[in-house]
Amino acid sequence: MYDVIIVGAGPAGLSAAIQCRKWDMNVLVIDEFPKAGGRLLGQLHQEPNGEWWNGIEETKQLTETASKLNTEIRLGISVHHVEKIDDGFLVHTNHGDFASVRLLIATGAAESAAPVPGWTLPGVMSIGAAQVMTNVHRVRVGEKGIVIGINVLSAAIAREMQLAGVDLHSMVLPAMNPVTKDHAHPKKVMDKLSRIAHLAPSAFLRFGGKVAKANIARKLATQFYPRNGMKMWGMPIHLRKAVTQINGTDHVESVTMFDVTADGKLKKGTEKRVEVDFVCIAGGLYPLTELAAVAGCPFHYSEELGGHIPVHNEEMKTPIDGLFVAGNITGIESAKVARAQGKVAGLSIAREKLKGIADLEYKVLQAMNDVRKTRNEASIQFHPGIEEGRTKMEDVFRESKKTETAL
Amino acid sequence: MDNITICRCEEVTLEDIKNTAKKYNCTAREIKLRTRAGMGYCGGRTCRPIVDTVMEHVTGEKPGDNIPLKVQPPVRPVSLSTLEGKENEK
Repeated sequence: MYDVIIVGAGPAGLSAAIQCRKWDMNVLVIDEFPKAGGRLLGQLHQEPNGEWWNGIEETKQLTETASKLNTEIRLGISVHHVEKIDDGFLVHTNHGDFASVRLLIATGAAESAAPVPGWTLPGVMSIGAAQVMTNVHRVRVGEKGIVIGINVLSAAIAREMQLAGVDLHSMVLPAMNPVTKDHAHPKKVMDKLSRIAHLAPSAFLRFGGKVAKANIARKLATQFYPRNGMKMWGMPIHLRKAVTQINGTDHVESVTMFDVTADGKLKKGTEKRVEVDFVCIAGGLYPLTELAAVAGCPFHYSEELGGHIPVHNEEMKTPIDGLFVAGNITGIESAKVARAQGKVAGLSIAREKLKGIADLEYKVLQAMNDVRKTRNEASIQFHPGIEEGRTKMEDVFRESKKTETAL
Repeated sequence: MDNITICRCEEVTLEDIKNTAKKYNCTAREIKLRTRAGMGYCGGRTCRPIVDTVMEHVTGEKPGDNIPLKVQPPVRPVSLSTLEGKENEK
């Protein structure tokens, strides 16, 4: 029986494991990908201060520390069910079952699709898949592509692909349909980009920031958005063009593109075909919570945090005894925040086992402070209202505890 | 537009979901059971948020605190022999 099983070897899972090992706990880390690091592996971007964030290097530091502490990490194993048993948890995998007293779910996030007609053709992929192929597997995804969906994540990954020498025509919006919602609305996209603009390293996002002060200015900026798009690192970003259809017989051959109004309506007679052999669709991220759900954890829906989130508090505890969460499963934020949260979870778990150690009490508080600090200094913020979302979640957790006591 | 595929695993279109939602005036969970959207190989990881969005558009159903479409184990594809515990260690 392990003291703790950690599902997910990303920044959150690994840093939690390191803390638990420092306190000499019996730890097992499981991840379904053949390499440790999670989505950290694909990340490569320049911070506003000019420094580069290289996910592969960051991963190396975490895995080296973990292995110095003799951490048991099993890769390429999928967890398909988690059961609450009397004295802990039974974790079912495709390589057998493992039991532990405590469980940390650090499964990160998955991508939301933003379907455009033709999105099932070979050659269409999510922007995250393009990132993994480019930066992890070092495979060129195609000769010339286009990115559908303009957000922080897609802009960052488009830049990574550009650095790897992949030819991108431009970034455009998906055409408006019942599924693409806000992703297709030029003004709403501009709103989101401009609220994070002061944090973003690119000239394009700073442009949004300058006009972000007043709503009317933002409206004007969308209204008078240059017809040829604005260039970021030499690549056009079109807030006023949208793809209605991805074309091809056996494979992507082209996309059909229209000019759109500031509200995202198609302008007649502006139809154009752009020849590409791959398409990346970017619909944002949502927390990957399946295991918390089958473990019986209660949920709270939070738009600010990116979707349905397992109820938890700042110490990364859920209302279920012995069940902890950390990283993007608790809300979509940067890898640095995930890593800091992992540290809190690890210390929090150690504290629960080794009751009454004053040093640990202090360390948990310190680590929680560090999460707040990291969040405030984050250069990439996916959702504008992250603070509000976090505060609300704290209330929901307290409520859930009250109900429990009342029962 | 309505012939766009929503659930890739079970090949359920936007039209299927819209028609079913209108005909039975039902919840997202019922849509899943009636159309099989979200019940395929990927376990709904791809279309779960989309089905939610479509439902909000068609019936005005807003996401509640419960996970939409409900999650059932196994959450990853596994063979029956694995479930039986016969293929534990390779």
